[in-house]
Amino acid sequence: MVKDNQELWTIILGEIETEVSKAIFLTLFKQTSLLSFEEGVATIAAPSTMIIDLLQKRFYQIIKKAVDKHTEIDAKIIFVPKNVMPNNNPEKNGPLFQEAGKPTVTIGHLPRVKKDYTFQTLAVSSSNQLAYVSAQTVSRKIGIAYNPLFIYGPVGVGKTHLMQAIANDVYENDEGKKIVYITSEEFTNEVVEAIRTNDTARMKKKFRSVDVLIIDDIQFVAGKERVQEELFHTFNILIDGESQIILSSDRPPSEIKKLEKRLSSRFAGGLTVDIEPPDFELRTAILLIKAKKYNFNLTIEAAKQIAEKEHDTRGLEGALLRIITQSQTLGVEISSSLIKNVLSNGEHREIGNYRPDELIKNICSFYKIKPTQIKGEKRDAFLVKARQIAMYLLKKELDLSYVEIGNILGGRDHTTIMYGVNKIEGLLLKKGFSEEIQMITSLNQE
Amino acid sequence: MKTSFLSENLGKKIALVNHAVSSRSQLPVLLNFLLVSKKGKLFISATDLEIGIEVSISANVEEEGGVTVPAKTFFDLLTNIPKGKITLHTEDQKLILKSEKIRTVFQTIPQEEFPKIYEEKGEKRAVVERKTIEKDFAKVVFAASQDSGRPALSGVLMKKEEGRGGGFVLVATDGYRLSLKRGVGGGVSSASKEDQLVMPARIIRELVSVREGESVEIFVSDESNQILFFQDETVLAVRLIEAEFPSYEKIIPTDFSTRVVVGKNEIQSAVKACSVFAREAASIIKFSVGKDKLVVSASAPSLGESTIDVDAVVEGEENEIAFNSRYLLDFFSNIEEEEVIFEMTGPLNPGVFKIKGDDTFLHIIMPIRVQE
Repeated sequence: MVKDNQELWTIILGEIETEVSKAIFLTLFKQTSLLSFEEGVATIAAPSTMIIDLLQKRFYQIIKKAVDKHTEIDAKIIFVPKNVMPNNNPEKNGPLFQEAGKPTVTIGHLPRVKKDYTFQTLAVSSSNQLAYVSAQTVSRKIGIAYNPLFIYGPVGVGKTHLMQAIANDVYENDEGKKIVYITSEEFTNEVVEAIRTNDTARMKKKFRSVDVLIIDDIQFVAGKERVQEELFHTFNILIDGESQIILSSDRPPSEIKKLEKRLSSRFAGGLTVDIEPPDFELRTAILLIKAKKYNFNLTIEAAKQIAEKEHDTRGLEGALLRIITQSQTLGVEISSSLIKNVLSNGEHREIGNYRPDELIKNICSFYKIKPTQIKGEKRDAFLVKARQIAMYLLKKELDLSYVEIGNILGGRDHTTIMYGVNKIEGLLLKKGFSEEIQMITSLNQE
Repeated sequence: MKTSFLSENLGKKIALVNHAVSSRSQLPVLLNFLLVSKKGKLFISATDLEIGIEVSISANVEEEGGVTVPAKTFFDLLTNIPKGKITLHTEDQKLILKSEKIRTVFQTIPQEEFPKIYEEKGEKRAVVERKTIEKDFAKVVFAASQDSGRPALSGVLMKKEEGRGGGFVLVATDGYRLSLKRGVGGGVSSASKEDQLVMPARIIRELVSVREGESVEIFVSDESNQILFFQDETVLAVRLIEAEFPSYEKIIPTDFSTRVVVGKNEIQSAVKACSVFAREAASIIKFSVGKDKLVVSASAPSLGESTIDVDAVVEGEENEIAFNSRYLLDFFSNIEEEEVIFEMTGPLNPGVFKIKGDDTFLHIIMPIRVQE
């Protein structure tokens, strides 16, 4: 009978486990393995001489019995000291050694760029093909092909992935290239910080000396004049110096409100490409790629079923993870009913996430106050009343926890919320009050 | 068994053995000391299946034999009773301990259940003087990782070096810092084919802490893959680490752009003082190298900041770098010499520390990248 050593040993250990106490099994047998089984000799590895001594002295017969039974011969058992720990991974040796392999990877040469966001890991279909091809062209001919490259599309279509893929690709081809990947919010922070510390020179130097500047979600610079001015100058200098600029946004440059004309025309001066939301086939392909990343075997059928339900890529990954977790915790295979079950839970939760604001808005419009007032500190009688009604409704209608309600209502203590809910419950007995509440809830149902 | 000995002879030895007792084994016998009286000696040993320690003291053996007793109780009792003659004897599975006024009875587990700490000595690889252990081993072992999940980093590499008068090179690293000492135990001949081995740092820490005796003999048994340290009447045994030690040669900087010579005590106390603030700010200590001084500083947004000038002899360009205060203090507290040399090339490259007048030692620390 030919069996894999490891498999055989698992079976034998299973047998031994029933013969010895749990303590003994864990301390002595858990770390053993069957190295070889040849010509009636079983070679067993154990991590230390002390363990071997105990195994030999006290458990030889038990081991031999179990081995004999499963190999069907009169086996001889020998022990060797050997640690059968998984191989140590060179990456786990720490930063000192990563540094050694690639001396130019000073920590944070490509800060914030995910290593696994590459062109290879991006699923391509008709909805993003143009963007994909232009990104590849740009990364091969930086500063020459299309400058700037402006990518736009709704959330979760893979803009960030594509831009980071460019960063990774450029870096892989030439480690000497200086690449800065930044979100427009961080860019804003840098500008603000530079103004605050009166040290704009350093910031200017940082951004104006790069080979590739990638700014994600550029639409957020809208309305920030000083940031736009800084961006404008940086932009001009980089384009003149043939450095590549890559921008992303949720809409085309012309539609970004409160963006200076001179900037929006410059943004559109290179190539503007859009990514459409992924179609069904692409979503299925994305799921299969993601599943592979998590080392999970997902069938095409299952992927299709998820892709039908979820429409944006982030939702896809989330749904996939929920399904994997669920199937692992329950210990069942992925089936269409499991997927259905998990995904319908997801829907329910999303509604829950979305409604508190709506509810507060309705209360505010009913009492003609502002949401900031209801979340604020003021304790005028009419505000307190509206606030307590909000507590009550958030509890009764949405079944949020007291702590959650406290957070929603401007970081109040959970005991305050408990008090508020009780107070309203008491008032409900009064005439006229419950009608008032009902009118508000009917607003919610609209 | 029946034997008697003087409790003062046991002294620190039993504390050493106690370190090898398993802290929470599910196997009761591993929570015990093995006591064996044989040939005019009382042997006490303990193991947690990873390391094993055995000590012996001279005793008056009337009847040879052995037994195991609960280690914690036995240890606590012996450290708390007055000095003097102690008699041990077994009686119906129990061990009776008697001194002038004390009579104690211990529950026992038969000695057959206790694992042998070592089978055979193996081959003698080296004899290292005690002062080398305390001076050189101690300078290296502190850089090893405490995490046994990363086997190679939790060990100390001992590698035979050609030239340089024979000796060994010792290296330990936890991935953030590295300590290296060359020419250890110079003149030792080793007939072995294997020219390097990785020893668990834990056993080296124990070995350093023994702090007595003249020299230590190192034996390696290929058969059982064990390394044994023999010192007078003490034996420390441990399994060798099989994982491959990271290639440290590559990361030792060959060049520097700034070199600072500074008094160890001055810089140590400056770092210590600044670490008061660094504690609150990710332990970041900044070194700014000026023309003729090294400025040590730390700041915590919520507390304030501290800047200390340390006089120094500076060669090369002015420079800045930041380190974790713990790594700096670990290094300073493990060397005794008075002057240290600090070399660096830039804020992102590892900093190198050396001892003035000693080109056999170096310590490398990975800097912290601070936001400019």
